[in-house]
Amino acid sequence: MIALQLLVNGLIAGSIYALIAAGFSLIYSVNRFMHFAHGAVVTVCAYLLYAFFAVLGLNFFLACVFTLISGALLGWLMHAVLYRPLRNRGGSNAVMLVTSIGLMIFLENLMLLIFGADVKTVGFLKVREGLHIAGVIVTPLQLVIIGASALLLFGLWFLLNKTNMGMVLRAVADDAELARISGIDANRVHTWSYMVGSGLAAFAAIFIALEQNIEPIMGTMLIVKGFTGAVIGGVTSVPGAVVGSYLLGIVENVGIWWLPSGWKDAIAFTLLFLFLLLKPSGIFGVNKGVRN
Amino acid sequence: MSAYLIHLSILIGIYVILSTSLNLAMGFTGLLNLGHIAFFGVGAYTSAILTMAGVPFSVAFFLAGAFAVLFGVLLVLATRNLKGDYLGLATLGFGFVVYSVFLNWTGLTRGPLGIPGIPKPSLLTWAIQSNTEYLFFVLLVMALTLLLLWMLTSSPYGRVLEAVRDDEIAARVLGKNVSKLKCQAMGISAFFAGIAGSLFAHYITYIDPSSFFLSDIVLLLTIVMIGGLASLRGSVIATVIILLIPEALRFVHLPSSIIGPMRQMIYALLLIVILLYRPRGFSGHVDLA
Repeated sequence: MIALQLLVNGLIAGSIYALIAAGFSLIYSVNRFMHFAHGAVVTVCAYLLYAFFAVLGLNFFLACVFTLISGALLGWLMHAVLYRPLRNRGGSNAVMLVTSIGLMIFLENLMLLIFGADVKTVGFLKVREGLHIAGVIVTPLQLVIIGASALLLFGLWFLLNKTNMGMVLRAVADDAELARISGIDANRVHTWSYMVGSGLAAFAAIFIALEQNIEPIMGTMLIVKGFTGAVIGGVTSVPGAVVGSYLLGIVENVGIWWLPSGWKDAIAFTLLFLFLLLKPSGIFGVNKGVRN
Repeated sequence: MSAYLIHLSILIGIYVILSTSLNLAMGFTGLLNLGHIAFFGVGAYTSAILTMAGVPFSVAFFLAGAFAVLFGVLLVLATRNLKGDYLGLATLGFGFVVYSVFLNWTGLTRGPLGIPGIPKPSLLTWAIQSNTEYLFFVLLVMALTLLLLWMLTSSPYGRVLEAVRDDEIAARVLGKNVSKLKCQAMGISAFFAGIAGSLFAHYITYIDPSSFFLSDIVLLLTIVMIGGLASLRGSVIATVIILLIPEALRFVHLPSSIIGPMRQMIYALLLIVILLYRPRGFSGHVDLA
């Protein structure tokens, strides 16, 4: 029974990692650079939800809608103000990566400055006793998280594979030069990828805000987890990133059967390091351009 | 000189060693190392744990450097197939692994509680008790570090390292053992970071894992990028300027809960602005590739 419980815990963690990893991987495959500040987008969105709902007293679902819109706008803003000018000046991937780490620290500390160091809770849901299903304890919220993540990820798959916008996104991801020659406005496609990716991060932020406390530094851990999930599955493949994230969630939670629970983050770091060394293209990723 | 200025000067001295040694790996040799702070941490913990166990400071000081070298060489060997941003992420991942070991190996490091009461150092007959004496010691180590790094980078060997950075294949064609050179450069870089860690631990007399995480990596990157890659002089000047800028905040009497985040925001903003508008920094010779 403990095994099943740990597995379910892994699935819950994996659902959140998958949302973050899918957005990260989408942005990576379209723009070809590691958007580390993606973690800070989650943090900012969680604080925005707190601000809209708990501080301003808006209706919860309205607050969620505002949070999602702000998330997408934040994605647009980062691209327009920072990443596009950097690329236009010929910034290398290393420059983009370092910039994005700087941006993450900036946003995290901005949240610390505005909201203070103490943890915040949204407090929309009352603490309730978990449901007992087949000997496993889960809260209704956790069931919603698992279901909603799966639905959102299916939506992303549908968007990428069955719509015109998805086709254009994949075309730019596959060969930006060729896509441009075919008359695709690459800049618009880049903007879309940031907006969709950051929107997914906002969804993750809402779930996290409901489940746990909000604190300024949570984005660092979250992006490391999302990024690790993406690397395990293959950063260049959105479905790979999703599968990798669920795997990470499960490995992490089953791993604490043997290790003290404090090592949970260390498991992720170690997996990340090992995959980067041994198989940087991940389980499902294509090897194209990964190593230079 | 007031106590406050002495304190600042000691920190600046330690950070000069850290930033110039990072520049040796990142600027001169072209290894995008985002885990440099881990060497600093390894040095700090090694020196603290050894001296608390009764090992003389002079021995612990060199072992702090030696342990960091070990980690540096292992890191290069492990990541020898990676380049550019992938190398950056692997080294960042290495930094995280080291950080979580500091945090979780409580039997050795006391985890989040940190190690308090690290003794002030004594070298042979010179017991360094006051901060003024400590400043002299730090400045001495800093001067030796700068001298060695300057001799190294302006020698033919230094030009070979730069060749490895600029065109690895060409360097290999000319018969240079590139992976050996990378190991050596990273090893030397890690050594100085390690002894800087020792200086830090024995000055502050208390260390915990939070001193060796992401925000300090950003501070180091800001210094090196603003000074410019492959420029020792740039890194020295940038260290002084960057560490002094946030001190201006003290004079407007803000509470420390505001000064802390403000300082980090200033560092991060400076890093972003320099990469956006002057990616070579003030006296850099090369781009971050």
